[in-house]
Amino acid sequence: MTVGQRTVDESGTPARGWGLNTWDSPWLNFKFLLGVAIVSLILLFGLLGPLFWDTDLAYTGAGPLNKPPVWQEGGLPEHPLGTESNGRDMLAQLILATPSSLKVGFLAAIIGMGIGMVLGSVAGYVGGWWDHVIRTLSDSAVTIPALVVLVVIASYVQMTDTTAMALILAAFAWPGPTRLVRSQILTLRERSYVRMAHLSGAPALEIMFVEMLPNMLPWLAASLTGGISVAILGATGLEVLGLGPTRVPSLGLIINQATTNAALVRGLVWWWLPPIIILMVIFVGFFLMTIGLDEIANPRIRQFSSSRRERTAAGEAPTVVHGDGGIGGGEDAALEVDDLHVHYFTPRGEVIAANGVDFRVRKGEILGLVGESGCGKTTVAMAILQVVQAPGRIVQGAVRIEDQDLVSLSGRALREVRWRDLALVPQGAMNSLNPVTPIREQMADAILAHENVGRLELEARILGLLNDVGLPERVIDMYPHELSGGMKQRVCIAMAIALNPQVIIADEPTSALDVVVQRVVAQTLLEVKERLGVSMVMIGHDMGLQAQLVDRIAVMYAGNLVEVAPVESAFAEPLHPYTQLLIESIPSIKERKPLNVTEGLTHDLRNPPPGCIFQFRCQHVEQICRERRPELVEREDDHLVACWLYEPERHSLIELEEA
Amino acid sequence: MRGLTREYVLQRFLMYLLTIWLGSTLIFVIPRLAPGDPVSEMVGRLSLDAGYIENADKLIESWKARFGLDAPIHVQYFRYWGNVFRLNFGYSLSHFPTEAWTMVSDALPWSLGLLTVATVLSFSIGVTIGSLMGWRRTPRWLQLILPSSLTFTAIPYFMFGIMLIYLVAFELDWLPATGAYSRRVDPGWNLPFIKNVLTHAILPVVSIVLTSMGGWALGMRGLMISVNNEDYFLLAQVKGLSPSRIFFRYGVRNAILPALTALALGLGGLISGSILVEFIFAYPGTGYTLYQAIISQDYTVTQAIANLIILVTATSVFLLDLLYPFIDPRITYKRDMR
Ligand code: SF4
Repeated sequence: MTVGQRTVDESGTPARGWGLNTWDSPWLNFKFLLGVAIVSLILLFGLLGPLFWDTDLAYTGAGPLNKPPVWQEGGLPEHPLGTESNGRDMLAQLILATPSSLKVGFLAAIIGMGIGMVLGSVAGYVGGWWDHVIRTLSDSAVTIPALVVLVVIASYVQMTDTTAMALILAAFAWPGPTRLVRSQILTLRERSYVRMAHLSGAPALEIMFVEMLPNMLPWLAASLTGGISVAILGATGLEVLGLGPTRVPSLGLIINQATTNAALVRGLVWWWLPPIIILMVIFVGFFLMTIGLDEIANPRIRQFSSSRRERTAAGEAPTVVHGDGGIGGGEDAALEVDDLHVHYFTPRGEVIAANGVDFRVRKGEILGLVGESGCGKTTVAMAILQVVQAPGRIVQGAVRIEDQDLVSLSGRALREVRWRDLALVPQGAMNSLNPVTPIREQMADAILAHENVGRLELEARILGLLNDVGLPERVIDMYPHELSGGMKQRVCIAMAIALNPQVIIADEPTSALDVVVQRVVAQTLLEVKERLGVSMVMIGHDMGLQAQLVDRIAVMYAGNLVEVAPVESAFAEPLHPYTQLLIESIPSIKERKPLNVTEGLTHDLRNPPPGCIFQFRCQHVEQICRERRPELVEREDDHLVACWLYEPERHSLIELEEA
Repeated sequence: MRGLTREYVLQRFLMYLLTIWLGSTLIFVIPRLAPGDPVSEMVGRLSLDAGYIENADKLIESWKARFGLDAPIHVQYFRYWGNVFRLNFGYSLSHFPTEAWTMVSDALPWSLGLLTVATVLSFSIGVTIGSLMGWRRTPRWLQLILPSSLTFTAIPYFMFGIMLIYLVAFELDWLPATGAYSRRVDPGWNLPFIKNVLTHAILPVVSIVLTSMGGWALGMRGLMISVNNEDYFLLAQVKGLSPSRIFFRYGVRNAILPALTALALGLGGLISGSILVEFIFAYPGTGYTLYQAIISQDYTVTQAIANLIILVTATSVFLLDLLYPFIDPRITYKRDMR
């Protein structure tokens, strides 16, 4: 049976990531290893058995009839597991039968995998007509009930040995691997490192084996272990029906002989139960291997289980150190972010994604939050919205709207504040709308979660909102896939203003849109903001866009705010060396370019250095920068910066310390 | 735009025909690839049993003519197709005056009933368990209990069936071990009969459900985890929707689509497994009849059943395919669906 559809889009790690001999290798999966151990034990039983036990007893049948195992009354030491109705020794039969059942499974699955890899590669690589034919064939082949056809085959073809049976079973083992290999190739060939290999002119086969195979390995292995158990199941099924090879002992054949000799009714438990137990152990072993490999192949499942463990270990409710509410931040603050610390608890240590982030958004203003990717700006957005994903957690700080600290809220109280006070225009509008429900429903459920509105009023309101963002009325009954990227983003804006919130977080609202559409969307945002007087936090890395849209700008570097200033003075006279770098990287304000600062060293986020966070990339670094962390201090009118350069007393400060 | 487009229906219908063609052709070709032909084999066996049969050659000839085996292979093939379409498979060899089709159609309702109940139960229970396992907000005690439902996942149906028969039917004597109803009751629409049928169905259904639901649960868990990471799932949270709405409309609603695809693809395997369950429980469905036809060398009934099972499987998959666009509005847009 299929263990679900394996989603194939996440094995993004390049091949080198799967180091086999590092201690945190994903292959060291408990379930997988346990499965391997179980199957190896069974295999050893079959392979080493003949050395310790006379397996001829399986055939001769010279022993006494129907003797129970030795630990039961009437059992004989020379037949430790008893004998059956023909006087054959059970232990000897089991020793002979076990490896032959395993052999059929391995052989059939490996042949099936081989065929599947060839067909799947052809379909995935050559594509076109070949792809169509192979896909259609394999799709219809999976739906044919294999055992029915096998039974028909087996009733005509006399199967003399296990190899013949394995060959026949292999005829049904190829569609799964074919589909898998094809979809993996289609996914992987879009990956940048595979594309690079293409561009560099590497031959297809080399790319297949060097670049793709290592990435497909866990998937292929899972498919193989799954295939082996399916093949063993098919073979056993035929044997149980009495349609397998009858001269070779096999586990299914023992069950067949037991059931046809009424062993169940006659209470000869030792006849039918041991082969079933061995088979079950085999199946459990392969099953564990398969789900273990699934976890290896699919990091999300791994992450999910580990984050559960993580939370269980740390206690479900995070203990948050709340900032003391002393700072009022003035009457005009719509949103206060107060000393926010967000840590990610990874197996390799604690990553500090936000380190004491502290800012206010004034009523009716747009605050831009900028920085290169990975600087923690999206983490801050998620923390404001209270949706930091595990293994991340807010460990300290407060997020206040109207003097209510969202970090301390949960359950119903938090749900009520959400969207009514704090809405989001998401980053990937492409994927932010539920693909299977119409726009009407998605806008309605946001409204209905917070207000009681009648049907007609609801519709009128949704139409009004769509109109506000310049979308035609028919959009209301459309599905997300019927809309363009820009339209989707405008639907998201319409949704965000549905409840007239205090604050909107716009997380790179224009990324992934083309330039013209970007302008339209940005324009829409501005209009909405003007009309509603809503406050906004605009996350982005596009300095040019920020310059046009925001009132104040907050620059983030490696989890820390380094500069907060009105947009004019930030661009005219950036104080922090990092901000200066950002602005220099824009060739001209008119011509917008994504931020791309690569020179210099970044520190390890798990282990920030003492002193300034920017010291490794800073041209002006001084002694004090390496020793003491600069605070975010107002150096000019409304212009805050965290840099020692603007501290006239800095030299005396270290001297003081040294003294 | 939405729902069923003609192109989609046509494409699925062609697929349906292809599946039937592929399966039926296999069934036609295989016996003819085997050394000897079924009739000579059968007569040979008869003469072994009876010691000697007079004019065995003539018998073989006349039987061959009767089954059309004397014609060239392509003629046979076309005739075979004509017969498959008219559901005309000739007489049963082992129960001579009875038509093969009659024997098959007597068995079909039992299998359909058993399998439909078992599949619906195992799929819905499995999907429910999997959805809860893949959701972060599931209460902790439930999260700890749920994995225990996967205990029997790795065990094939029929092995579990054998153990159930031994424990529940023979040792505890709670439920009947084999058959679909006892001889004591009158078949018909009366209460004792229906009760009797239901008690007989419990063990086979339980053995299928308990062993197969874990597969659905695991698949669904993976799908839910993927959905959990989708942007729309996050937005639903930020919108302040109630957890139950997020769970059903954003989580399960999206995750179940691939699970349904897997169901359509898994039907063949389910039906295969049920043959063994019917054999173990001597349940008079198509699987058991197929087994009996095979051990009694009943060539026509074997063909009839194998064709029927392929037909039924393909039809169920086709029906699921037709339902799909109503559940997933994207389907007609996605070229590369499965
Ligand atoms: S504090 Fe020192 S290292 Fe940091 S930015 Fe300022 S000058 Fe550079």
